[in-house]
Amino acid sequence: MPDAYVFDAVRTPRGRGKDSGSLYTVRPVDLLAQTLRALADRNELDTSQVDDVVMGCVTQTGDQGACIARFAALEAGYDVDAPGVTLNRFCGSGLQAVNDAAAMVASGFYDLVIAGGVESMSRVKMGSDGGAIWDPKTQWNVGSVPQGISADLLATLNGITRHDADAFAVESQRRAAMAIETHKFDKSIVPVVDESGVTVLARDEYPRPDTTLDKLSGLSPSFEMMGRQFGLDSLTKNEYPQVERIDHIHHAGNSSGIVDGAAAVLVATGEKGKALGLTPRAKIRSVAVVGTDPILMLAGPMPATQKAVAKAGMTMGDIDLFEVNEAFAAVPLAFMKQLEVPHDKVNVHGGAIALGHPLGATGAMLLGTLLDTLEEKNLSTGVVTLCIGGGMGIATVIERV
Amino acid sequence: MSIETTANGQAKLEIDGDGIATITLQMEGRANKINDTFGETLQQAIAWTKKQEGLKGIILASGHKDFCVGADIDRLYKERDAVNLRGRLAQLNGMYRELETGVPIVAALTGSALGGGYELALATHHRIAVNSPKIQLGLPEVNLGVIPGAGGTQRLPRMIGIQAALEHIAQGKIVRAPKAVKAGLVDALADSPEHVIDAAKAWIKANPKATQPWDQKSFRFPGPRPGSDQARQIFMAACAMLFKKTAGAFPAAEAAVASIQEGVALTFERAIEIESRYFAQLATSDQAKDMLRTLWFHRTAVDKLEGQPKAEAHGFSKVGILGAGMMGAGLAFVTAKAGMQVVLKDIAQQSLDKARAHCEAEAGNLRHLSKDEQAEILGRIGYTLSVDDLEGCQLVIEAVFENLELKHKVTQETEPKLALGGVWASNTSAIPIADLAKVSRDATHFIGLHFFSPVEKMQLVEVITPEATSDDTLGRSLAYCKAIGKLPVVVGDGYGFYTTRVFSAYILEGAQLVAEGHDPVVVEWAARKAGMVVAPLQVFDEVTLSLGVKGFKQGRAYGKTLDIAGVKLVETLVDKGRVGKAGGGGFYEYGKDGRKIWSGLSELVTQTPDATGVELIGRRLLAIQALEAARAIEAGVIKHNRDAEVAAIFGIGFAPNTGGPLSWMDRQGLPALVQELDGYADKYGERYRPPQLLRDMAAKGERFFDAV
Repeated sequence: MPDAYVFDAVRTPRGRGKDSGSLYTVRPVDLLAQTLRALADRNELDTSQVDDVVMGCVTQTGDQGACIARFAALEAGYDVDAPGVTLNRFCGSGLQAVNDAAAMVASGFYDLVIAGGVESMSRVKMGSDGGAIWDPKTQWNVGSVPQGISADLLATLNGITRHDADAFAVESQRRAAMAIETHKFDKSIVPVVDESGVTVLARDEYPRPDTTLDKLSGLSPSFEMMGRQFGLDSLTKNEYPQVERIDHIHHAGNSSGIVDGAAAVLVATGEKGKALGLTPRAKIRSVAVVGTDPILMLAGPMPATQKAVAKAGMTMGDIDLFEVNEAFAAVPLAFMKQLEVPHDKVNVHGGAIALGHPLGATGAMLLGTLLDTLEEKNLSTGVVTLCIGGGMGIATVIERV
Repeated sequence: MSIETTANGQAKLEIDGDGIATITLQMEGRANKINDTFGETLQQAIAWTKKQEGLKGIILASGHKDFCVGADIDRLYKERDAVNLRGRLAQLNGMYRELETGVPIVAALTGSALGGGYELALATHHRIAVNSPKIQLGLPEVNLGVIPGAGGTQRLPRMIGIQAALEHIAQGKIVRAPKAVKAGLVDALADSPEHVIDAAKAWIKANPKATQPWDQKSFRFPGPRPGSDQARQIFMAACAMLFKKTAGAFPAAEAAVASIQEGVALTFERAIEIESRYFAQLATSDQAKDMLRTLWFHRTAVDKLEGQPKAEAHGFSKVGILGAGMMGAGLAFVTAKAGMQVVLKDIAQQSLDKARAHCEAEAGNLRHLSKDEQAEILGRIGYTLSVDDLEGCQLVIEAVFENLELKHKVTQETEPKLALGGVWASNTSAIPIADLAKVSRDATHFIGLHFFSPVEKMQLVEVITPEATSDDTLGRSLAYCKAIGKLPVVVGDGYGFYTTRVFSAYILEGAQLVAEGHDPVVVEWAARKAGMVVAPLQVFDEVTLSLGVKGFKQGRAYGKTLDIAGVKLVETLVDKGRVGKAGGGGFYEYGKDGRKIWSGLSELVTQTPDATGVELIGRRLLAIQALEAARAIEAGVIKHNRDAEVAAIFGIGFAPNTGGPLSWMDRQGLPALVQELDGYADKYGERYRPPQLLRDMAAKGERFFDAV
């Protein structure tokens, strides 16, 4: 079985995911196409050699409907031979694309696959694609609550307080601001340009470096009203009868930002890379995806990471750096607490609380960030992991070569 | 004008010179019910209208007091075959489609239209009701463990919007005619039955092309469209609110929400299939059978005083009430509201003042009455400190503190004022009436009336009859209970009668579970999940722990062994000043953001259970009550099995989803239950040991109620 290598990773900067955001005026297919073009250009890639373009995208409707991966590849000027497929594993989609690409390549059936993802949350509203998740029947048979309720439940079950979450958010902002200032993201970022080539956005625009604990303490919890007054908290009672009261700690300041963005990762066998004159940057050591309780929903990164690390034949101590998606502060906090990982190994350049979480693209973005950071610090192994709607978790272990 | 009837004689058929036909349903018996005969009648009536030349419209009317009372519950109760049921539903729904897709048709609501009766009205183009608060409309099916099955979950949302329909159907709301136009349940009101018909004819003439909104090309949902963000939020909120209320113990309401959500997105005709599936699943389920038996048949039997001595009238024009606490004040108000003169007597002016304020507030709440009418009610209540003012009362209800000596004292002091042939009633929750009657001049006129608080709201009255109580006393007491709008259950005498025995067992077991080391938060949830209306620790706090401790003392005097750890836990809490909600806290602490289990509680508990969980706790809480019900039957306190069910559900909020403690035992299967209870007794204490009655019934393969 051939090994799967990461040869390169690029991403757009993240724009605020509302109509005042810089990327609102850019079609999601163009966001993705520009990323794909940049990846091909900087690697001088013969796109007729691309066996597939696998893209994560969560809300596949409207501007993001109708297999955006295929049309982005075509818009990017890829050879018509390069096909495209769009997948949805909610917030894990971008990393799922990378993992699928790795598996495709490692299977020997494919030699080179472009993975990645896209989400224009300013244009295509989260949840606007409908689905059984909203049906009362699914509610009665399976159970489902808004993610924020799950996040607050995760915090309650893990004894994570509002102060913990706010302090984590402030640190995420500090790290992100520092990373931007010191050009840590420049290696991967591809500025988004308009039709005349004029730059639309060159830097992540979501961070608020002036965030302080004091400022955050003034924000009211986002899910308390719907949880307590509208009874959504009670929907967690079947699974968590021992929880008397959910401590609603999350708000806009300690949860991931709603943003627009796209990312692309070049995955291939060593042999194919050599043939195309490319140098591998990292080997994908293992991948894992797990299902967990859909009500708690966000507890997947822990078992997913453990599964992937074990599959790689490693132990947690072998991992130098972690990128744990900051969907809500409670997720990385619970991760660090449960797996006993120190904060200085986790999200060293900040995370989605400061930078934003473009659902379908985030996983691929985090993979690129991790790779850049390992190189920057001359470390070897890292894990990317994300929590996923419906109660899932995904993880990837990479090792520099 | 020609007048004829359908071949089966169940509907009158007439057509006037303007070509407007009137179908008047006059089904055999006291009401129009939806059953096979109804189907046949409607079919014949529809066939007849088709033969009428120049037919311009149809008025659907009733020859009975009610428009239509809905499904024939006898028939539905016995139905266990979903395929059969689906077949009958399809036929009915087909006929309703025929009604609403022909000439203009109007429902003349000269009486109530509930459940299936209202669904019939929904299958017309226009509903006109007599403007009377006596006329009730709505779809209360979920209260009986089913959902509307003849298009109700599909027509109502298309008529009044998703949100409003959800409220009506999932909560089983009943609306009175004067408010029904605003609610959208009827289109117009008229002053009299005749005016309803006139208005119906006028409407038909003005709307010769009437069709249902959902059959029009231009149809748009009132309010949020199915599939829209707003609609999705409405459904999510509805699910959450519902679950918060029911803890998932009542699948009918859940199915109603699902039926609406799934159906509204489809074409009307196919949407009906969705509803039919849910209906058939629920209607053939164990839960619906148990709920229908108790909440319909048994409740009706109790309400009609079946098997009880009947008095022509209570004959009370002046009623004395002793003790102006919450209960006394409430009794004074409901009695005055029913048209009787009331004398409310207390020993403290302060109590009387509070009682007066209470009655004034209650009267003010009766918004459908004018200020004068409210004042008239209040005018019937006299407040006094003097026993002499009770002279000539034909009924005295003693509602002083729960203390034998005090009750004896006031009886001796007041009984001489009672009119000759009057009735003496004691409102007590536990003290045997025979003991109270010991000081009475005449035990034949002495009876127990155990009311529940708040008396304005709680329907049940436990009527306690020691041996000596005469049939005349009982009959008149029952008539009084009916007059004040109550549901009286007659039980035999004995400490705690029936409801207090069962209720005490419940809350004490709640305390016991905590003392055994079960998580109090899980105990509370398990109770609700099992269907109990209020969680045990919450309600223990509300009835106050200190009263509980007084009750232990009294209970011990009556020979109860109260030595379980739960009792000691309650005593310890009271010793520590945690006397209950009114005293600032008990099992719970009460802050401005609601109640929370008292943080010190766990420190008082030293035990750890070897097994715990929602399922086990829920079973124990139901079992301990069911055992008391069985013992009450054995002791002769319960005379009709039905009474055990109705009193438990309406008096103390026993899980309505089970149909009551006896239905619950039947559903477990007595042989298996006896075995389970013996296991509990070995493990948790002798209070779980099944009484001989259960062993005998199990051995003989008997049940409390026939299986369906």
